[in-house]
Amino acid sequence: MNSVKPYAKAVSTRLIAGVLVFLLVTFSATALSSLAPGSAAQLILGDYATPEQIATLNATYGYDLPIWQRYLSWLGDLLRGDLGVTMFSQQPVLGVVLERAAVTFEIAFLAMAVSLLGVPLAMYTASHPNKLTDKVMRSVSTLLLAVPTFVIVVLFSYLFALVLRWLPATGWVKFTDNPLANLWYVALPVMCLSMHQTAYLYRVARNEFVTTLQEDYIAVARAKGLPLSYILFHHALRPAMPQIITVMGLSLTYMLAGSFVVESYFAVPGIGWTVLSAVKSHDIPLVQAILSLTVVIFVIVFMLVDLGYALIDPRVKVS
Amino acid sequence: MTDIGNPLGLNPGPDAKLSEIVRAATPWSSKLRLSGGSVSDTVAAIFLVLLILVALFVDFIPGLVSPRLPYGDFSQLPDWSLNGLLGTDDIGRSIFSRVLYGARTSMMIVAISTTIALVAGLLLGMLAGYYRGYFERAVDLFANALAAMPSTLVVLAFVAVTGPSVITIIVVLGIFDIGTYARVAKAGVISQSNRDYVLAARAMGATDGRILLQEILPNLIPALTAVMPTLMAGLIITEGSLSFLGYGIPAPAPSWGGMIASSTDLLSRFPLLILGPVLAIVFTVYAFNTIGDYLAQRLNNRERES
Repeated sequence: MNSVKPYAKAVSTRLIAGVLVFLLVTFSATALSSLAPGSAAQLILGDYATPEQIATLNATYGYDLPIWQRYLSWLGDLLRGDLGVTMFSQQPVLGVVLERAAVTFEIAFLAMAVSLLGVPLAMYTASHPNKLTDKVMRSVSTLLLAVPTFVIVVLFSYLFALVLRWLPATGWVKFTDNPLANLWYVALPVMCLSMHQTAYLYRVARNEFVTTLQEDYIAVARAKGLPLSYILFHHALRPAMPQIITVMGLSLTYMLAGSFVVESYFAVPGIGWTVLSAVKSHDIPLVQAILSLTVVIFVIVFMLVDLGYALIDPRVKVS
Repeated sequence: MTDIGNPLGLNPGPDAKLSEIVRAATPWSSKLRLSGGSVSDTVAAIFLVLLILVALFVDFIPGLVSPRLPYGDFSQLPDWSLNGLLGTDDIGRSIFSRVLYGARTSMMIVAISTTIALVAGLLLGMLAGYYRGYFERAVDLFANALAAMPSTLVVLAFVAVTGPSVITIIVVLGIFDIGTYARVAKAGVISQSNRDYVLAARAMGATDGRILLQEILPNLIPALTAVMPTLMAGLIITEGSLSFLGYGIPAPAPSWGGMIASSTDLLSRFPLLILGPVLAIVFTVYAFNTIGDYLAQRLNNRERES
């Protein structure tokens, strides 16, 4: 009984902090449209709109109301699950955002799975420190961390789509339409997104393993004659887990920021691609909705990471 | 062999001779290293110094043509003149000149954004760490909100409303780094404020402002400089991505991201065009990361010793 209570408390304090963050960010997002030169409707409709058209649009989207009033009505809409319709295609905003988010999540999730390869690689080089593989891997990971995603995207699509012609350069097939074709189209975006993350995870995990492998209990395990692989997975992995989880949680920021570049370059209809087209057409409600969704996801993931620490290492106090 | 210097400021005695002997006996390769660093740390430091010099004085390089105007025929192959070192782009502008001027663009954004972030972050973080209470909670909320979204997305949201502009990018990226600097400054103040020297200053009747600025602030500098290069590398990448997407530095002005974007259209026939800006941004990020690691390592060692 006692073991459940601190978790419940930790979850609730983090939820409150998360809700505050959500309110702060979404309020700022609402206030943002007031920065538009002239009015938001003027911006959306362009220079040739008549004053009547502008007034009508300002009234439908509430851009003529004071910020706090507009924000309260947006919050009310959110609670009813109705964020209005997109500016141009007139589809429900919430539906569009969720559909696109599914695409981005598929790519981000696969890229994260690929990046986990960094952990066994780190195990190997950490248990053979300063050997050739260790040195090579260190240089490779340092180099990869210095290559921005948009450069990786350009170079990989040149190599794999233009020169070798192994993978399609652009395009998208829904997973529900044809899972195999979907994987075919998803391969390049996933590779591009996972490079940086693999290198980062590798570096962090290697440093963790090197320190852990110097501990006395590892020497004891070795002296007992346990095989190296058993020691690595059963004794060395657990102390490194909090760091690994932190990196994976942080990688979400990276994946979402990277999705703008990757999705626009490979024409993948995900969140990043949607934001870019919404920016081009000044579709403010859509940008606002995506910003809000992002904040919700981040708050949840950071909370899971915090709770993950406590689950892995009972010495960590959840408070 | 670690050189602890002369921490007490005593007159150098006979030991000074010893240190000269030691210096004379050290192999030349270790003279090339920053103290406690590797050769690549030195290379990174030299590269960054050169980069800053280029950013400051690119206008005065003799013979370098304007990055905005065509100067010769389109050729992806280099010729052995200063302006032709990296070839010319699709409208005949010197890629070498554009890469150098692109360095100025990147460095300018890094410098201004970092100044904004550092000043505001120090102010918020120090006050939060010193006075705690509700102000600390407000600063935490602000920092958490910034951490809960990618800066690229927020810049894009601003661009959707106000149109692309360099000032928007500089300010938004600057605001985004406030959270990290504030967090580092706050942690530093909290760990310092119970030290003896702070108590002594307080006992002598020093004001809060004096304690914060003259006693605590100098001790925050190592931790702040250790996070700075990594954040700067992040700024360069974000600015590059935005320019690559077409929402960063507006077109005729040279930027590495923009140059990479425009050469992708010609990539299938003229792959060499992309080399200059790609190498420039990769080396720069590499150098910032390397110096960041080096400083963080030194800071760790320092804290372990104290």
